[in-house]
Amino acid sequence: MAPLLRVSGLSKRFGEIVVADNVSFELARGECLGVIGPNGAGKSSLLNLIVGLLAADGGSIMLDDREISSLPPHRRARMGLGRAFQIPQPFPHLSVYENALVAASYGAGLYGDAASDWTMEVLQRTGLDAKADKLAGALPLIDRKRLEFAKALASKPKLILLDEIAAGLTEPEVERLVAIIKSVKADHAMIWIEHIPHALRAVSDRILVLDFGRKVLEGPPAEVMDSAVVREIYMGLKADGVA
Amino acid sequence: MTPMPTRTILLACAIVLVAVIAGAPFVLNEGILRLATECLLLLTMAQMWNLLAGYAGLVSLGHQVFIAFGAYALFLTSGWLEVTPIWVLPVAPLVAAAVAAIIAFPLFRLRDAYFSIAMWVFAEIIGAFTMKSQAVGGTSGVPLATSKLIDFDWFEPTMFWLAGGLTLVTIAALYKMMTSSFGLGLMSVRDNDLAAMSVGVDVRHNRFIAFVLSAAGCGLAGALSFMGNLFIAPLAAFDVNWSVYMMFIAIIGGIGTLEGPILGVIIFFGLREVMTGPLGLSGGWYLVGLGIIAVVVMIVAPRGIWPALRDRLGVRLLDVHRAAPRPAAAAILPGASERVTG
Repeated sequence: MAPLLRVSGLSKRFGEIVVADNVSFELARGECLGVIGPNGAGKSSLLNLIVGLLAADGGSIMLDDREISSLPPHRRARMGLGRAFQIPQPFPHLSVYENALVAASYGAGLYGDAASDWTMEVLQRTGLDAKADKLAGALPLIDRKRLEFAKALASKPKLILLDEIAAGLTEPEVERLVAIIKSVKADHAMIWIEHIPHALRAVSDRILVLDFGRKVLEGPPAEVMDSAVVREIYMGLKADGVA
Repeated sequence: MTPMPTRTILLACAIVLVAVIAGAPFVLNEGILRLATECLLLLTMAQMWNLLAGYAGLVSLGHQVFIAFGAYALFLTSGWLEVTPIWVLPVAPLVAAAVAAIIAFPLFRLRDAYFSIAMWVFAEIIGAFTMKSQAVGGTSGVPLATSKLIDFDWFEPTMFWLAGGLTLVTIAALYKMMTSSFGLGLMSVRDNDLAAMSVGVDVRHNRFIAFVLSAAGCGLAGALSFMGNLFIAPLAAFDVNWSVYMMFIAIIGGIGTLEGPILGVIIFFGLREVMTGPLGLSGGWYLVGLGIIAVVVMIVAPRGIWPALRDRLGVRLLDVHRAAPRPAAAAILPGASERVTG
């Protein structure tokens, strides 16, 4: 069976700075790929390239065997890419319900009762149903993070792309968010950029390591997290454990 | 959030307003009728400016160009075809919309203040060309060549009916549009275009539609306004004060609401009539009064007077926001919300 997502030779540079250097990987349906790397490694840029917020200099992005690298972001979203941003990007003057309804209407292409029923289901799944009529701009951080996930989920995506969605949360809040993410994992493929190792281990099937825009390692979570390469480039430790 | 008024209440209000507009010319004198026509046309223009700025997030300082295009299109077409100007009214919004559709391509590459200023510059350039062009009367302007075909016994009532009809249709159409999924998409673009495109909204397309509709509405209202004067000149048609007035009315009343411009136009004209009428002050003092009101409102109620009143009184008239379905309709996953607490 063809992979859901196939990224081949993806490249992007801003002058001298390389944010994606011939990156290739595949993702199967229902699989969760964790992405780690130090700040500036090109993790968010990789997501931006996949969803179309950045135009690639070279390489290809195939979703369901269809080349999407030349399509605008809204077309990619409608084809099944749901994105949650590192810094929450709500529609601040719309209610929580309306925020998710936009994604249900445009991303999932639902109308009328089908759109509102699906929106409420998503809000229930993400624990936001009791705050459905609150303005999104007035939400605390944890609810903004949930709303990011709710918007991505409401568009009925094939692939959810999460960018440090747990960053800035307290440990109990991270646990709640991980529980939500795990609850929908069976039905969706995911790419999750995160700096919280235990959160990533709890959900990821594989982990990909980026450094200076290059893929330096890819493999099972335990193996990757314990590797000397990760210890060296991600935590600044040499192979012998000396900083 | 208070539930929206039912469709029946809104329909009843619309019927009453239609009856009032239909009957007003038989009760009001010509002077008041002319003032009411002016109010209604400026209200339509402000609603159109509000559609673009308040719902699509594009602040235009050059909407006078659409007023001018609509008005000149009406005057010239009516003259060429030698027919009563009312019959060629559809030309005005069509020309304004066509101009908007063409300039959207370069202008949409600009954002925020750059877009606002580019609109103003475009309006000034077209205004300067018009003043140089003798084919459209140059700086002297042109009279309505077919005014002899107008029945002046019914001219003021007809103008009032047209303005009233246009205003009602505009508000009804905007309400319908903003409560549709297109309207929701438009508001999402206004709030955060990056997030909007990431959930499937075609940002450029939505803004384009709002821009063209806004231009068309201003073109038609502008054509009616100058038709009422029976004369058009570039200094009046391309006057930046058109945009200033639209902005004042929408921002003071409540930008991003349909009720705000209605309240704004009442304040705008109410102040003018009181200051220049009973108080006997000059037009300059009227502008000073407008400025003071603008400053005070922006400090006390930055979102405008209507949103502040609405929140205090809990009144919802033409609210375009959607309330979440109540639990009975939403009980798809019983107990699902218990999975995640907090």
